[in-house]
Amino acid sequence: MPLDALSNLNDDALLVLYANGDPAAARLLTDRLGPRVYAHAARLIGDRSEAEDIAQEAMLRLWRMAPDWRPGEAKVTTWLYRVTANLCTDRLRKARGGHKGLDEAADPADDSPSAAQAMQDKHRRAALDAALGQLPERQRQAVVLRHIEGLANPEIAEIMEISAEAVESLTARGKRALTAILADRREELGYRDE
Amino acid sequence: MDPERMDPERMDHDLDQLFATARDTAPELPDSLAARMVEDALAVQAEALTSPAVERPVLRIGIFRQFLALLGGWPAMAGLATATVAGIWIGMSPPTILTEGASALGWQSVSGEDAYLVDTMSIFDTLAGEG
Repeated sequence: MPLDALSNLNDDALLVLYANGDPAAARLLTDRLGPRVYAHAARLIGDRSEAEDIAQEAMLRLWRMAPDWRPGEAKVTTWLYRVTANLCTDRLRKARGGHKGLDEAADPADDSPSAAQAMQDKHRRAALDAALGQLPERQRQAVVLRHIEGLANPEIAEIMEISAEAVESLTARGKRALTAILADRREELGYRDE
Repeated sequence: MDPERMDPERMDHDLDQLFATARDTAPELPDSLAARMVEDALAVQAEALTSPAVERPVLRIGIFRQFLALLGGWPAMAGLATATVAGIWIGMSPPTILTEGASALGWQSVSGEDAYLVDTMSIFDTLAGEG
């Protein structure tokens, strides 16, 4: 099937095509889902090289599960977020060292809009990642899914296999904790009282 | 600054800005990782398409079990055994009611044994023998 025609299909349909042997579906699914899985893993684990391993493993599980996928029962992204989070949790538990600092060398160069702004963005993102790393795992996962990935509470509830009320509680506590952690760094991060 | 003394709205605003920065500067998928993902996908796909269909274990059922299943399983077999034993018993020692019943049906002069006499050579066999 031509790539243009495939790009109009949803993830469910692409996964079925992939299971039926369409190589173009594999490439398109990687383009769509790979960046999200990798970014989510990087935010949860805080280490880019580990995030690469986790993202590759999560996608590998997707490919293996494709023949058994039942379209319409759940969203592919929901399934992937859950698998990614579980893989991150396993890694963190094995490491026991908790959150690691982001690998600064792996940051892509950012020239816009200005070098100073780019530096500040990078600094802020690193501060947020470090603060997220101090949260309990479930709070971190809920905050990332809600406020960075931008998912709605019902979908987060499905990913985390908890109620929407529990998601609300986790994100609220997570935000309060982040505020407390970052309070002392406001000026350093370029936030000033007016 | 003590978080308790800070304006909650301002703190929320700052945090929202941090989240926005994180969204806008999402870590990009490295090209090498994307290539590995596609490589995995194609390998798994090729393996699934070339491997033979999953062989299901063949269920082999013996003749006795098939016969038993045909009858209706062990409960039916128990009933059949009871009926067989009862039949043998009645054959060896026919109850009086059986011979009296035969008399009542018009077999006036028959003895108890006569009630069980069966014509083993039917008229059709005789006709067939004569040609």
